Amino acid sequence: MVTILAIKTIRCIIARRMTPFDPSTIERPDRALMKYYIITALLTGPLSILVILPLFFKYETLRYRFDAEGMSMSWGILMRREIYITYRRIQDIHLTRNIIQRWLGLATISIQTASGSSSPEMSVEGILEADALRDFLYTKMRGAREHHEAAPDATGTAPHDEALALLREIRDLLRARHS
Amino acid sequence: MSRNVERAASWMYRGVWGVLTRWFRVPQHSPTLPTLPGEQLQSFRPSEGFLRYLKLQFWLTILPAEAFIVIAWSSLTAVRPWIGIWLTPVALVLGTLPQALSYLAIHLRYDTTWYVLSQRSLRIRSGIWTIHEATITFENIQNVTVESGPIERCFGIGNVIIDTAGGSSSSGHSHSKGSSNLHRGEIAGVANASEIRQMILSRLSLSKVAGLGDEESATTASGWTAEHLAALREIRDTLQAGS
Repeated sequence: MVTILAIKTIRCIIARRMTPFDPSTIERPDRALMKYYIITALLTGPLSILVILPLFFKYETLRYRFDAEGMSMSWGILMRREIYITYRRIQDIHLTRNIIQRWLGLATISIQTASGSSSPEMSVEGILEADALRDFLYTKMRGAREHHEAAPDATGTAPHDEALALLREIRDLLRARHS
Repeated sequence: MSRNVERAASWMYRGVWGVLTRWFRVPQHSPTLPTLPGEQLQSFRPSEGFLRYLKLQFWLTILPAEAFIVIAWSSLTAVRPWIGIWLTPVALVLGTLPQALSYLAIHLRYDTTWYVLSQRSLRIRSGIWTIHEATITFENIQNVTVESGPIERCFGIGNVIIDTAGGSSSSGHSHSKGSSNLHRGEIAGVANASEIRQMILSRLSLSKVAGLGDEESATTASGWTAEHLAALREIRDTLQAGS
Protein backbone atom coordinates (compact mmCIF):
# COMPACT_ATOMS: atom_id res chain seq x y z
CA MET A 1 0.00 0.00 0.00
CA VAL A 2 2.69 2.37 1.06
CA THR A 3 4.85 1.45 -1.90
CA ILE A 4 1.96 2.05 -4.28
CA LEU A 5 1.40 5.45 -2.76
CA ALA A 6 5.08 6.25 -3.00
CA ILE A 7 5.20 5.17 -6.62
CA LYS A 8 2.14 7.25 -7.35
CA THR A 9 3.61 10.36 -5.79
CA ILE A 10 6.91 9.82 -7.58
CA ARG A 11 5.04 9.42 -10.86
CA CYS A 12 3.10 12.56 -10.13
CA ILE A 13 6.29 14.47 -9.44
CA ILE A 14 7.94 13.12 -12.57
CA ALA A 15 4.88 13.99 -14.64
CA ARG A 16 4.93 17.51 -13.27
CA ARG A 17 8.61 17.77 -14.06
CA MET A 18 8.19 16.36 -17.51
CA THR A 19 5.33 18.52 -18.66
CA PRO A 20 6.74 21.55 -20.43
CA PHE A 21 5.98 24.92 -18.97
CA ASP A 22 2.80 26.33 -20.44
CA PRO A 23 2.15 29.93 -19.40
CA SER A 24 -1.37 29.97 -20.78
CA THR A 25 -2.44 27.90 -17.80
CA ILE A 26 -1.48 30.75 -15.48
CA GLU A 27 -4.45 32.86 -14.62
CA ARG A 28 -4.17 33.74 -10.99
CA PRO A 29 -1.21 34.44 -8.74
CA ASP A 30 -0.22 31.72 -6.36
CA ARG A 31 -1.48 31.75 -2.81
CA ALA A 32 2.04 32.38 -1.59
CA LEU A 33 1.68 35.90 -2.91
CA MET A 34 -0.92 36.69 -0.27
CA LYS A 35 1.46 35.37 2.38
CA TYR A 36 4.14 37.60 0.98
CA TYR A 37 1.81 40.58 1.06
CA ILE A 38 0.85 39.84 4.65
CA ILE A 39 4.49 39.63 5.70
CA THR A 40 5.41 42.87 3.96
CA ALA A 41 2.42 44.56 5.54
CA LEU A 42 3.37 43.28 8.98
CA LEU A 43 6.86 44.64 8.51
CA THR A 44 5.47 48.15 8.26
CA GLY A 45 4.33 47.85 11.87
CA PRO A 46 1.42 50.06 12.91
CA LEU A 47 0.54 50.86 9.32
CA SER A 48 -0.20 47.20 8.58
CA ILE A 49 -3.96 47.64 8.37
CA LEU A 50 -3.66 50.48 5.91
CA VAL A 51 -1.12 48.63 3.81
CA ILE A 52 -2.81 45.25 3.78
CA LEU A 53 -6.13 46.40 2.33
CA PRO A 54 -4.95 47.51 -1.11
CA LEU A 55 -2.61 44.54 -1.29
CA PHE A 56 -5.44 42.18 -0.42
CA PHE A 57 -7.65 43.65 -3.11
CA LYS A 58 -4.81 43.50 -5.57
CA TYR A 59 -4.27 39.85 -4.81
CA GLU A 60 -7.96 39.08 -5.07
CA THR A 61 -8.45 40.80 -8.39
CA LEU A 62 -5.13 40.02 -10.05
CA ARG A 63 -5.54 38.10 -13.30
CA TYR A 64 -2.99 37.06 -15.84
CA ARG A 65 -3.56 36.00 -19.40
CA PHE A 66 -0.88 34.72 -21.72
CA ASP A 67 -1.76 34.26 -25.37
CA ALA A 68 0.25 33.63 -28.50
CA GLU A 69 1.17 37.26 -29.08
CA GLY A 70 1.36 38.85 -25.71
CA MET A 71 0.38 38.89 -22.12
CA SER A 72 -2.07 40.89 -20.10
CA MET A 73 -2.43 41.58 -16.46
CA SER A 74 -5.34 43.26 -14.74
CA TRP A 75 -6.20 44.19 -11.22
CA GLY A 76 -8.03 46.75 -9.15
CA ILE A 77 -11.45 47.30 -7.64
CA LEU A 78 -12.03 51.03 -7.77
CA MET A 79 -9.30 51.90 -10.21
CA ARG A 80 -9.19 49.07 -12.65
CA ARG A 81 -6.03 48.61 -14.65
CA GLU A 82 -5.30 46.28 -17.47
CA ILE A 83 -1.95 46.15 -19.20
CA TYR A 84 -1.23 44.33 -22.40
CA ILE A 85 2.27 43.83 -23.67
CA THR A 86 3.20 42.04 -26.86
CA TYR A 87 6.14 39.74 -26.36
CA ARG A 88 8.00 41.17 -29.32
CA ARG A 89 8.12 44.61 -27.73
CA ILE A 90 9.79 43.48 -24.56
CA GLN A 91 13.15 45.13 -24.12
CA ASP A 92 14.46 44.01 -20.78
CA ILE A 93 13.33 41.38 -18.36
CA HIS A 94 14.30 41.81 -14.75
CA LEU A 95 13.81 39.13 -12.19
CA THR A 96 14.14 40.21 -8.59
CA ARG A 97 13.82 38.11 -5.52
CA ASN A 98 14.18 39.47 -2.05
CA ILE A 99 14.75 37.27 0.89
CA ILE A 100 11.10 36.81 1.83
CA GLN A 101 10.23 36.02 -1.76
CA ARG A 102 13.01 33.45 -1.88
CA TRP A 103 11.64 31.76 1.19
CA LEU A 104 8.20 31.60 -0.31
CA GLY A 105 9.50 30.60 -3.72
CA LEU A 106 8.21 33.74 -5.37
CA ALA A 107 9.76 36.34 -7.62
CA THR A 108 8.92 39.60 -9.30
CA ILE A 109 9.40 39.69 -13.03
CA SER A 110 9.59 43.27 -14.24
CA ILE A 111 9.05 43.68 -17.93
CA GLN A 112 10.05 46.77 -19.78
CA THR A 113 9.30 48.16 -23.17
CA ALA A 114 10.89 51.22 -24.69
CA SER A 115 8.66 53.70 -22.93
CA GLY A 116 9.71 56.85 -21.20
CA SER A 117 9.47 55.76 -17.63
CA SER A 118 12.19 54.03 -15.73
CA SER A 119 9.71 52.09 -13.65
CA PRO A 120 8.68 48.79 -15.15
CA GLU A 121 5.63 48.58 -17.36
CA MET A 122 4.56 45.33 -15.85
CA SER A 123 5.53 43.59 -12.66
CA VAL A 124 4.44 40.00 -12.69
CA GLU A 125 4.20 38.77 -9.14
CA GLY A 126 3.17 35.60 -7.45
CA ILE A 127 4.22 33.02 -9.96
CA LEU A 128 6.02 29.98 -8.66
CA GLU A 129 7.64 29.00 -11.95
CA ALA A 130 9.23 32.41 -12.31
CA ASP A 131 12.39 31.10 -13.93
CA ALA A 132 10.46 29.13 -16.50
CA LEU A 133 8.21 32.10 -17.23
CA ARG A 134 11.20 34.38 -17.56
CA ASP A 135 12.88 32.02 -19.98
CA PHE A 136 9.63 31.68 -21.90
CA LEU A 137 9.40 35.45 -22.22
CA TYR A 138 13.05 35.55 -23.17
CA THR A 139 12.55 33.19 -26.06
CA LYS A 140 9.65 35.34 -27.25
CA MET A 141 11.30 38.71 -26.95
CA ARG A 142 13.12 40.55 -29.66
CA GLY A 143 16.50 39.32 -30.65
CA ALA A 144 16.38 36.03 -28.82
CA ARG A 145 15.90 33.93 -31.91
CA GLU A 146 17.55 33.33 -35.21
CA HIS A 147 14.96 35.02 -37.37
CA HIS A 148 16.80 38.23 -38.08
CA GLU A 149 19.69 36.53 -39.75
CA ALA A 150 17.61 33.87 -41.41
CA ALA A 151 14.41 35.72 -42.14
CA PRO A 152 15.60 38.26 -44.75
CA ASP A 153 17.02 35.41 -46.81
CA ALA A 154 14.07 33.12 -46.42
CA THR A 155 11.33 35.67 -46.96
CA GLY A 156 13.49 37.67 -49.34
CA THR A 157 14.19 34.92 -51.82
CA ALA A 158 10.85 33.19 -51.99
CA PRO A 159 8.76 36.12 -53.31
CA HIS A 160 11.66 37.21 -55.43
CA ASP A 161 11.70 33.86 -57.15
CA GLU A 162 7.98 33.94 -57.58
CA ALA A 163 8.24 37.38 -59.11
CA LEU A 164 10.96 36.15 -61.43
CA ALA A 165 8.85 33.19 -62.48
CA LEU A 166 5.90 35.47 -63.12
CA LEU A 167 7.99 37.85 -65.21
CA ARG A 168 9.33 34.97 -67.26
CA GLU A 169 5.82 33.70 -67.84
CA ILE A 170 4.71 37.14 -68.98
CA ARG A 171 7.72 37.37 -71.29
CA ASP A 172 6.92 34.02 -72.79
CA LEU A 173 3.29 34.95 -73.27
CA LEU A 174 4.27 38.16 -75.01
CA ARG A 175 6.75 36.32 -77.19
CA ALA A 176 4.15 33.74 -78.16
CA ARG A 177 1.75 36.50 -79.08
CA HIS A 178 4.26 38.39 -81.21
CA SER A 179 5.70 35.44 -83.04
CA MET B 1 49.98 33.68 12.81
CA SER B 2 48.64 35.64 9.92
CA ARG B 3 48.18 32.42 8.01
CA ASN B 4 46.09 31.02 10.84
CA VAL B 5 43.99 34.16 10.88
CA GLU B 6 43.54 33.89 7.16
CA ARG B 7 42.50 30.28 7.41
CA ALA B 8 40.05 31.04 10.20
CA ALA B 9 38.64 33.90 8.14
CA SER B 10 38.16 31.65 5.13
CA TRP B 11 36.46 29.02 7.29
CA MET B 12 34.18 31.63 8.74
CA TYR B 13 33.46 32.92 5.29
CA ARG B 14 32.62 29.46 4.08
CA GLY B 15 30.29 29.07 7.02
CA VAL B 16 28.54 32.32 6.25
CA TRP B 17 28.28 31.28 2.63
CA GLY B 18 26.74 27.98 3.64
CA VAL B 19 24.19 29.71 5.82
CA LEU B 20 23.35 32.11 3.01
CA THR B 21 22.86 29.44 0.42
CA ARG B 22 20.87 27.18 2.70
CA TRP B 23 18.81 29.54 4.80
CA PHE B 24 18.60 32.60 2.67
CA ARG B 25 18.30 30.66 -0.57
CA VAL B 26 21.10 32.44 -2.33
CA PRO B 27 21.66 30.50 -5.55
CA GLN B 28 24.99 28.71 -5.63
CA HIS B 29 25.50 28.46 -9.33
CA SER B 30 25.96 31.02 -12.00
CA PRO B 31 22.81 32.01 -13.87
CA THR B 32 22.16 30.46 -17.24
CA LEU B 33 20.42 31.58 -20.34
CA PRO B 34 18.26 29.45 -22.58
CA THR B 35 20.48 28.73 -25.53
CA LEU B 36 20.02 27.56 -29.04
CA PRO B 37 21.94 24.46 -30.06
CA GLY B 38 25.55 25.31 -30.75
CA GLU B 39 25.39 28.52 -28.83
CA GLN B 40 28.09 29.17 -26.30
CA LEU B 41 27.64 30.71 -22.91
CA GLN B 42 30.27 32.80 -21.31
CA SER B 43 29.85 33.47 -17.64
CA PHE B 44 32.30 35.40 -15.56
CA ARG B 45 32.65 37.47 -12.43
CA PRO B 46 34.18 40.85 -11.87
CA SER B 47 37.96 40.76 -11.84
CA GLU B 48 40.09 40.48 -8.71
CA GLY B 49 40.94 44.14 -9.07
CA PHE B 50 37.32 44.99 -8.43
CA LEU B 51 37.52 43.36 -5.00
CA ARG B 52 40.64 45.34 -4.14
CA TYR B 53 39.02 48.50 -5.47
CA LEU B 54 35.94 47.99 -3.31
CA LYS B 55 38.15 47.44 -0.27
CA LEU B 56 40.15 50.56 -0.93
CA GLN B 57 36.96 52.53 -1.38
CA PHE B 58 35.71 51.13 1.89
CA TRP B 59 38.90 52.09 3.74
CA LEU B 60 38.83 55.59 2.35
CA THR B 61 35.31 56.09 3.61
CA ILE B 62 35.86 54.40 6.97
CA LEU B 63 39.13 56.11 7.93
CA PRO B 64 37.57 59.40 9.10
CA ALA B 65 35.15 57.48 11.32
CA GLU B 66 38.00 55.41 12.75
CA ALA B 67 40.04 58.52 13.41
CA PHE B 68 37.07 60.11 15.12
CA ILE B 69 36.58 57.09 17.41
CA VAL B 70 40.28 56.97 18.32
CA ILE B 71 40.50 60.70 19.00
CA ALA B 72 37.30 60.78 21.04
CA TRP B 73 38.32 57.77 23.11
CA SER B 74 41.89 58.97 23.79
CA SER B 75 40.83 62.48 24.70
CA LEU B 76 38.18 61.09 27.03
CA THR B 77 40.77 58.81 28.62
CA ALA B 78 43.11 61.75 29.07
CA VAL B 79 40.45 63.83 30.80
CA ARG B 80 38.56 61.13 32.75
CA PRO B 81 40.66 57.95 32.84
CA TRP B 82 37.98 55.82 34.51
CA ILE B 83 35.31 56.53 31.96
CA GLY B 84 37.82 55.97 29.23
CA ILE B 85 38.76 52.54 30.56
CA TRP B 86 35.13 51.60 30.96
CA LEU B 87 34.43 52.67 27.40
CA THR B 88 37.35 50.72 25.91
CA PRO B 89 35.28 47.66 24.92
CA VAL B 90 32.65 49.88 23.37
CA ALA B 91 35.27 51.73 21.36
CA LEU B 92 36.87 48.47 20.27
CA VAL B 93 33.55 47.05 19.14
CA LEU B 94 32.63 50.26 17.34
CA GLY B 95 36.04 50.30 15.71
CA THR B 96 36.14 46.70 14.50
CA LEU B 97 32.70 45.21 14.11
CA PRO B 98 31.40 47.44 11.31
CA GLN B 99 34.64 46.87 9.42
CA ALA B 100 34.39 43.12 9.69
CA LEU B 101 30.77 43.21 8.58
CA SER B 102 31.56 45.49 5.67
CA TYR B 103 34.41 43.25 4.60
CA LEU B 104 32.03 40.36 4.66
CA ALA B 105 29.49 42.34 2.66
CA ILE B 106 32.12 43.29 0.09
CA HIS B 107 33.18 39.69 -0.35
CA LEU B 108 29.59 38.53 -0.59
CA ARG B 109 28.79 41.19 -3.12
CA TYR B 110 31.78 40.12 -5.15
CA ASP B 111 30.87 36.46 -4.97
CA THR B 112 27.23 36.94 -5.88
CA THR B 113 27.82 39.06 -8.95
CA TRP B 114 27.67 37.16 -12.20
CA TYR B 115 27.71 38.19 -15.82
CA VAL B 116 26.56 35.79 -18.50
CA LEU B 117 26.91 36.48 -22.20
CA SER B 118 25.45 34.41 -24.98
CA GLN B 119 25.42 35.00 -28.72
CA ARG B 120 22.25 37.07 -28.46
CA SER B 121 21.83 38.34 -24.98
CA LEU B 122 23.34 38.97 -21.64
CA ARG B 123 22.21 38.37 -18.12
CA ILE B 124 23.51 40.17 -15.07
CA ARG B 125 22.94 38.89 -11.57
CA SER B 126 23.76 40.93 -8.52
CA GLY B 127 22.69 41.38 -4.94
CA ILE B 128 22.55 39.40 -1.75
CA TRP B 129 19.34 40.26 0.03
CA THR B 130 17.49 41.20 -3.10
CA ILE B 131 18.82 39.19 -5.97
CA HIS B 132 18.38 41.01 -9.21
CA GLU B 133 18.73 39.38 -12.58
CA ALA B 134 18.52 41.50 -15.67
CA THR B 135 18.20 40.00 -19.13
CA ILE B 136 18.81 42.12 -22.20
CA THR B 137 19.07 40.94 -25.78
CA PHE B 138 21.77 42.60 -27.84
CA GLU B 139 19.21 43.60 -30.41
CA ASN B 140 17.60 45.95 -27.92
CA ILE B 141 20.80 47.71 -26.97
CA GLN B 142 21.05 51.33 -27.96
CA ASN B 143 24.52 52.24 -26.80
CA VAL B 144 27.39 50.73 -24.90
CA THR B 145 29.63 52.88 -22.72
CA VAL B 146 32.92 52.03 -21.09
CA GLU B 147 33.74 53.99 -17.98
CA SER B 148 36.62 53.84 -15.57
CA GLY B 149 37.69 56.34 -12.97
CA PRO B 150 41.31 57.13 -12.11
CA ILE B 151 41.44 54.75 -9.14
CA GLU B 152 39.66 52.06 -11.10
CA ARG B 153 42.29 52.40 -13.84
CA CYS B 154 45.00 51.86 -11.22
CA PHE B 155 43.38 48.54 -10.46
CA GLY B 156 43.01 47.81 -14.14
CA ILE B 157 39.25 47.58 -14.17
CA GLY B 158 36.44 49.31 -15.98
CA ASN B 159 32.66 49.30 -16.19
CA VAL B 160 30.64 48.49 -19.26
CA ILE B 161 27.29 50.25 -19.21
CA ILE B 162 24.62 49.02 -21.54
CA ASP B 163 21.62 51.16 -22.29
CA THR B 164 18.40 50.13 -23.92
CA ALA B 165 15.79 52.46 -25.32
CA GLY B 166 13.56 54.27 -22.88
CA GLY B 167 13.68 56.88 -20.19
CA SER B 168 16.38 56.95 -17.63
CA SER B 169 15.91 57.82 -14.01
CA SER B 170 15.10 61.44 -13.30
CA SER B 171 18.58 62.20 -11.97
CA GLY B 172 19.90 61.85 -15.48
CA HIS B 173 23.35 60.35 -15.76
CA SER B 174 23.46 59.00 -12.27
CA HIS B 175 26.17 56.71 -11.02
CA SER B 176 24.58 55.76 -7.76
CA LYS B 177 24.37 52.01 -7.44
CA GLY B 178 20.91 52.16 -5.98
CA SER B 179 19.38 54.02 -8.87
CA SER B 180 16.48 52.00 -10.13
CA ASN B 181 17.11 52.60 -13.77
CA LEU B 182 15.88 49.46 -15.37
CA HIS B 183 16.83 50.49 -18.87
CA ARG B 184 20.45 49.93 -18.06
CA GLY B 185 22.70 47.02 -17.42
CA GLU B 186 26.05 47.47 -15.78
CA ILE B 187 28.94 45.06 -16.10
CA ALA B 188 30.96 46.56 -13.28
CA GLY B 189 34.57 45.93 -12.47
CA VAL B 190 35.87 43.82 -15.31
CA ALA B 191 39.45 43.81 -16.50
CA ASN B 192 38.67 43.62 -20.20
CA ALA B 193 35.95 46.24 -20.41
CA SER B 194 36.74 47.47 -23.91
CA GLU B 195 37.01 43.90 -25.18
CA ILE B 196 33.56 43.16 -23.84
CA ARG B 197 32.25 46.29 -25.44
CA GLN B 198 33.75 45.30 -28.78
CA MET B 199 32.24 41.87 -28.47
CA ILE B 200 28.80 43.24 -27.67
CA LEU B 201 29.02 45.74 -30.52
CA SER B 202 30.12 43.11 -33.01
CA ARG B 203 27.24 40.87 -32.01
CA LEU B 204 24.92 43.84 -32.14
CA SER B 205 25.98 44.67 -35.68
CA LEU B 206 25.01 41.18 -36.80
CA SER B 207 21.38 42.13 -36.57
CA LYS B 208 20.09 44.40 -39.26
CA VAL B 209 17.39 46.18 -37.34
CA ALA B 210 17.57 49.62 -35.87
CA GLY B 211 16.99 48.68 -32.30
CA LEU B 212 13.44 49.85 -31.76
CA GLY B 213 10.53 47.56 -32.27
CA ASP B 214 10.80 47.10 -36.02
CA GLU B 215 9.97 43.57 -36.86
CA GLU B 216 10.14 41.58 -40.03
CA SER B 217 7.90 43.92 -41.97
CA ALA B 218 5.64 43.39 -44.95
CA THR B 219 8.30 44.59 -47.37
CA THR B 220 10.90 41.97 -48.09
CA ALA B 221 14.54 42.68 -48.56
CA SER B 222 14.40 42.68 -52.34
CA GLY B 223 11.65 45.25 -52.50
CA TRP B 224 8.95 42.95 -53.84
CA THR B 225 5.84 43.14 -51.77
CA ALA B 226 2.76 41.01 -51.96
CA GLU B 227 1.08 43.80 -53.88
CA HIS B 228 3.78 43.79 -56.57
CA LEU B 229 3.29 40.10 -56.99
CA ALA B 230 -0.45 40.49 -57.21
CA ALA B 231 -0.05 43.10 -59.93
CA LEU B 232 2.28 40.83 -61.87
CA ARG B 233 -0.15 37.97 -61.56
CA GLU B 234 -2.92 40.17 -62.90
CA ILE B 235 -0.80 41.14 -65.91
CA ARG B 236 -0.07 37.51 -66.66
CA ASP B 237 -3.68 36.54 -66.31
CA THR B 238 -4.85 39.30 -68.63
CA LEU B 239 -2.22 38.23 -71.15
CA GLN B 240 -3.29 34.63 -70.85
CA ALA B 241 -6.88 35.60 -71.31
CA GLY B 242 -6.00 37.69 -74.35
CA SER B 243 -3.95 35.07 -76.14
